[in-house]
Amino acid sequence: MTGTGLDPHAATPVPRRREGLRQGALGLALVLPPLLVLAFLVALPAVTAVIETLTPAGGGGPTLANYARVLGARTLRADIVFSVGITLVSVAVVFALSYPLALYLRFSRGRAARVLGVLFVVPLFVPVVIASFAMITFLVNHGFVSTLLYQAGVRAFPRLVYNGTGIVLTQVWVNIPFAVLILGAGLQAIDDALIDGARDVGAGPLRTFASIILPLNAVPTMIALTLLFIGVFGSFTIPYLVGGNAPAMLGVTMTNYLTQYLQRAQAVTIAVLAFLIASVVGVVYVASVSRRERGAR
Amino acid sequence: MRGLVTVLLALMVAVVLIPAAGLRTAGAAAPATLNVYINGDTNILDLWSKSLLPAFSKRYPQYRANMVGLMHGNGGQGVLDKLIAAKRAGRTTDVDLWETEPSMVEQGIPEGLWVKLSDKLVPNLGKVPAEKIAATGGYGAPYRGSSVVIGYNSQFVKNPPKTFDDLVAWIKANPGKFTYCDPNTGGSGQAFVSAAIYRFASPEKFAGNAYDPKEETAWEPAWKLLRDLQPAMYNNGFHPNGNVAVLQLLGQQNIYMASVWSDMGLDFSKRGLVPKTVKFEQISPPLFGGDSTVTLPSFSAHLEGALTLLNWLLTPEAQQMVISDVSGYPGVDWKYMPDSVRKQFADVAKPYSPLPNAKYLADIKRLWHDRVAAGQ
Repeated sequence: MTGTGLDPHAATPVPRRREGLRQGALGLALVLPPLLVLAFLVALPAVTAVIETLTPAGGGGPTLANYARVLGARTLRADIVFSVGITLVSVAVVFALSYPLALYLRFSRGRAARVLGVLFVVPLFVPVVIASFAMITFLVNHGFVSTLLYQAGVRAFPRLVYNGTGIVLTQVWVNIPFAVLILGAGLQAIDDALIDGARDVGAGPLRTFASIILPLNAVPTMIALTLLFIGVFGSFTIPYLVGGNAPAMLGVTMTNYLTQYLQRAQAVTIAVLAFLIASVVGVVYVASVSRRERGAR
Repeated sequence: MRGLVTVLLALMVAVVLIPAAGLRTAGAAAPATLNVYINGDTNILDLWSKSLLPAFSKRYPQYRANMVGLMHGNGGQGVLDKLIAAKRAGRTTDVDLWETEPSMVEQGIPEGLWVKLSDKLVPNLGKVPAEKIAATGGYGAPYRGSSVVIGYNSQFVKNPPKTFDDLVAWIKANPGKFTYCDPNTGGSGQAFVSAAIYRFASPEKFAGNAYDPKEETAWEPAWKLLRDLQPAMYNNGFHPNGNVAVLQLLGQQNIYMASVWSDMGLDFSKRGLVPKTVKFEQISPPLFGGDSTVTLPSFSAHLEGALTLLNWLLTPEAQQMVISDVSGYPGVDWKYMPDSVRKQFADVAKPYSPLPNAKYLADIKRLWHDRVAAGQ
């Protein structure tokens, strides 16, 4: 290649290759910033965290001692079980309340449905901290609910805040709009003709729901469930403010180990364990999304 | 020729000297600005920016003060690093006065960062009890203090407990009417837990710089005591987050007694956030407390101004602001304060126990969570 590259035989392929190169470079340039953010702010810290948990404090080869210590502590095992339990219950309650609401908003045409369609998103615009404090003042002893029950003659008032119940109630309040939006978007995509067709051949509402709507909305449902799980499982503000002292959810436990007990290794180990639990759910999410992608093609 | 040289020299001298002279006069006219670095919560930052510093500038018009607020001590390590770097480079620093925690002062001592304070440099330091200055190694000037005390609602508690054992007995006799905050979230909770520890072990052993986790076996009886108290706590063993949350429970009359910071409790009382019937008292042995100190970098650009400010800080005028603004204890001996102030603080202004050191405190918090809150 000593010439100027103006070989007449090469003239045709060169611009095409340049074109391809330019497009590739543009694509790369567009993808690069998020990719770098992902690499340096997510992947790299995650890898160093995992390495840190496997490195013993006194030096030496990789060991699982940190994990043995964390999983050997009864309080930490209790925190893990509590976190998963609270998350599953919260997701189940959110789902049970959101699905009927999404169905109602999809299939009702009245004014009530329109008003409800605006009202249900309100919690989405309330910061979680404010929602948590609102729930506390609402549910605490001497709060609104207890006063109401007292007036109604109920004297034995159950504890509704500063325990798992409080966390679940607040999570439900905060997460319903999000769940309804995702489920509703899925329901919108179902063709009315399919539902009318089912009715024409004599299917009742239940049968239509079970045979048409539920299967057609399966992917958005999985996405809603997995995102809800990860959101609740990784939450800090609500369990910190509304939860009790012990057992605590892992977000609170991690923060305590890092900032209060000055035990960094333990905090990072708990973080890696939390990540492993969340990644199981992440796999389900990725599988659901890729199934949808394949379906779309 | 010689005359010409003289004239030239005279001109050169004039050229050099006149602006310098001009600058000096300008310097005398414009007040020097002291940079005051303050660690603390909003109330402390307000105390400095709204009360202390304006009053100081009024009293000493030759100085102005610029406050750099370090909310909750955030950025403290950065200030220390900056000071060490300037000291090692042989430069002056723009940090003229710093209110910070003892650990920062401690780290600066081997670097020779601080002025060794004495009543020769700062005459009013003579009014501060000598042992308080000794506790800082002479590198900090205690200008305000507070301790954890027992707050109780006298409407429901006629005979408040006088000792820690009385307090434990009261809690057991009045289930659901006492709590202390989660020690992870506030010093008033740590103080109650430490009091239980000090009930069975010597405070001095855990207050110094020595740290040996083996010593923590001495805490076992305290964990048992606290665990046994759990069913008698508010809401069957609930400990709210933070010093304020406990005061709110006291204010709403959900509980009748709690461990609270003296300055916060008195401040809440003054602002009507707890009923007037809520009183504060120190028990025996006392709950822990401490002094907040200010430290002066020895190579600051305005050392003289900083010393003037410090001396003024220990005058009755400034000490009165500490009391009226944040309900703190004065840094100077109580005998230098007016009678009305001494009367206001009569029930709480008593000696207090030392804080456990940072490492023991971290372990106390963790073990409390495992042994008491999780009940194992």
